[in-house]
Amino acid sequence: MAALSIENVKKSYGSTQVLKGINIDIEKGEFLVLIGPSGCGKSTMMNSIAGLESITEGRILIGGEDVTHANPKDRDIAMVFQSYALYPNMTVRGNISFGLEVRKMPKPEREKQVQKVAQLLQIEHLLERKPAQLSGGQRQRVAMGRALAREPKIYLFDEPLSNLDAKLRVEMRAEIKKLHQRLGTTIVYVTHDQVEAMTLADRIAVMRDGLLQQLASPQEIYDRPANTFVAGFMGSPPMNFIDVTIDSSDSLTINAGQQQYQLPLPQGYDLSNYVGKSVILGIRPEMITEPVQHKAGLPEVAVLKLKTLLTEAMGADTMVLTQLGDKELNCRINPSHSVEINQHSEFMFDMSKAVFFDAQTEVLI
Amino acid sequence: MKQSYNLNINADATKNLSLLDSVKNKANRYLQQRSILQHLLRIVLYVILLTMAFIYLAPLLVMVMNSLKDVEEIRNGSLLALPQDPSLAAWSKAWGSACTGSTCEGIAPFFINSFKIVLPAVAISTILGALNGYVLSMWRFKGSDLFFGLLLFGCFIPFQVVLIPMAMTLGWLGLASSASGLILVHVIYGMAFTTLFFRNYYVGLPRELVSAAKIDGAGFFLIFWRIILPLSPPIIVVTVIWQFTQIWNDFLFGVVFSGADNLPVTVALNNLVNTSFGGKEYNVDMAAALLAALPTIVVYVFAGKYFVRGLSAGAVKGA
Ligand SMILES: Nc1ncnc2c1ncn2[C@@H]1O[C@H](COP(=O)(O)OP(=O)(O)O)[C@@H](O)[C@H]1O
Ligand SMILES: [Mg+2]
Repeated sequence: MAALSIENVKKSYGSTQVLKGINIDIEKGEFLVLIGPSGCGKSTMMNSIAGLESITEGRILIGGEDVTHANPKDRDIAMVFQSYALYPNMTVRGNISFGLEVRKMPKPEREKQVQKVAQLLQIEHLLERKPAQLSGGQRQRVAMGRALAREPKIYLFDEPLSNLDAKLRVEMRAEIKKLHQRLGTTIVYVTHDQVEAMTLADRIAVMRDGLLQQLASPQEIYDRPANTFVAGFMGSPPMNFIDVTIDSSDSLTINAGQQQYQLPLPQGYDLSNYVGKSVILGIRPEMITEPVQHKAGLPEVAVLKLKTLLTEAMGADTMVLTQLGDKELNCRINPSHSVEINQHSEFMFDMSKAVFFDAQTEVLI
Repeated sequence: MKQSYNLNINADATKNLSLLDSVKNKANRYLQQRSILQHLLRIVLYVILLTMAFIYLAPLLVMVMNSLKDVEEIRNGSLLALPQDPSLAAWSKAWGSACTGSTCEGIAPFFINSFKIVLPAVAISTILGALNGYVLSMWRFKGSDLFFGLLLFGCFIPFQVVLIPMAMTLGWLGLASSASGLILVHVIYGMAFTTLFFRNYYVGLPRELVSAAKIDGAGFFLIFWRIILPLSPPIIVVTVIWQFTQIWNDFLFGVVFSGADNLPVTVALNNLVNTSFGGKEYNVDMAAALLAALPTIVVYVFAGKYFVRGLSAGAVKGA
């Protein structure tokens, strides 16, 4: 039985439809990350699960029970807000225990629970402070503490880290992951940061304009994106898209202005229906590198001469922007290898993980 | 300073130096001129401010001065002269024994009447305004913006327009000529303002506070009581001061709706001034007027800074 089932959920504000039929099943103990560009309906989805917004159509089930019309308090969920929404007039202790108090937990138990949560999040020394006396990271912890205290069936996180600075965000990200592994809780987590999504999720749900684009494991999303939107959204720098023609069962042609380039097809990729037709090739930057010895001569590998437009040293590797006809390609090379700006140099295309999209529908082939 | 350079500095350098000096002098002169101008402007500003303050305060001063004289002195001398022999006799008469129409008990009983009307009216209209504002900001419903818009009309409707309908309504309710009736009128009339104040303050609070509390399991009143109300002191102060002065200073509703037994002090003051046996007792009139105005003055003196602070109170820190 799914911990949370979202069945064909639709939501409109007046005449604008924000959620256009979402279906998601979440297993007990699963960490699901909901990702998508700003305004695609992530918060609306979360608020609908929480019961803060009513939905126009569809059903929401928690632990098999239909809660579509239930009040937030009867859904056994907890939520961490982007703005934290700590009660400014209460101490940290008051913030954490408020939900327990409202639910009539006896005081000694309440105290024990607050202590437990505070210890878990290392905020014991902050218990008597007011939110205004806390730093951003501390407020974030308190907001999580408030959610953890009640031990609900499902935790909802709506962009909980987006108000923190980069370093703190990475720290808290790891901490949330540890917490999840330790407590085995069911979590729905909203973010627009794809690194957060990749690192935290058991499964990722990619949304766009109120529609679910893909629901799969992070690796699957990365390796086999359902369409060009998902492919472009996940990964930084994004996947390269190139218009190509499939020549035969094992090669394709890139039509880049006057010049033509040939590349091999990945083995086992069935493109037989597309021979002679145009498709979109998707290849990740790390699959276009400087020529490396151990790959030379492999059937899925080809070397092309491309003009370098720009290099960006990232430390661990160097990003190179190259020109292919009228297109620009992101490549990722070893920093020990140097390329000259505005010169042509050799780049090795490893096609083993290349993907193809239909030219019209932009859906994965 | 220049002398020390005399020996070994060539002509060029000296020229440069003197050029530099002249620039410096010019700059200094300019700065001096500017600061003199600034001083002048500042003086002009203060003169204007003091003049305005004096114009506003002069009547009060005249009233205080003349309330301390006796009638003869006012009649024979100038209104603007200082009292020869200051005495509080007029004040005590105004308070305890001056005639207001048919009774001669001063304004003291009406003072009490006013409090009996003002305190409940302020309390009730403030509480209702807070609840209205809470609903209109945090628990919006279909048409709540329209509702708020219509309610705002109440702020712009002149007293005179509602007199007759209000009188009829009070008649139907059996509250005509009673203190409760007058309280009701003030509550209804004031609610537009109190709702406006609270609603505008509450829309500045993060709505997620309420969402979080709902998820924590709290309901409408618990959220109001435990989360929203503790954040409200600044706007409560503003509303209470506003309502207190409005209702205390009201004359028209008081004279129309209160009935003979509950006349507020403003009406009594009017009666006192209009009741004369023989000559007019300006000193008593003025003392009575000052007494009637005292509560609002006291409220402003002690709570004025909270009023200003409350009006400019921003978002809540740390939410
Ligand atoms: N109360 C509302 N009334 C009308 N439109 C809304 C309301 N709340 C959100 N929307 C719209 O719904 C869309 C999705 O919003 P939201 O769920 O907050 O997006 P996200 O969290 O993914 O950035 C946006 O286009 C937003 O303008
Ligand atoms: Mg959002």
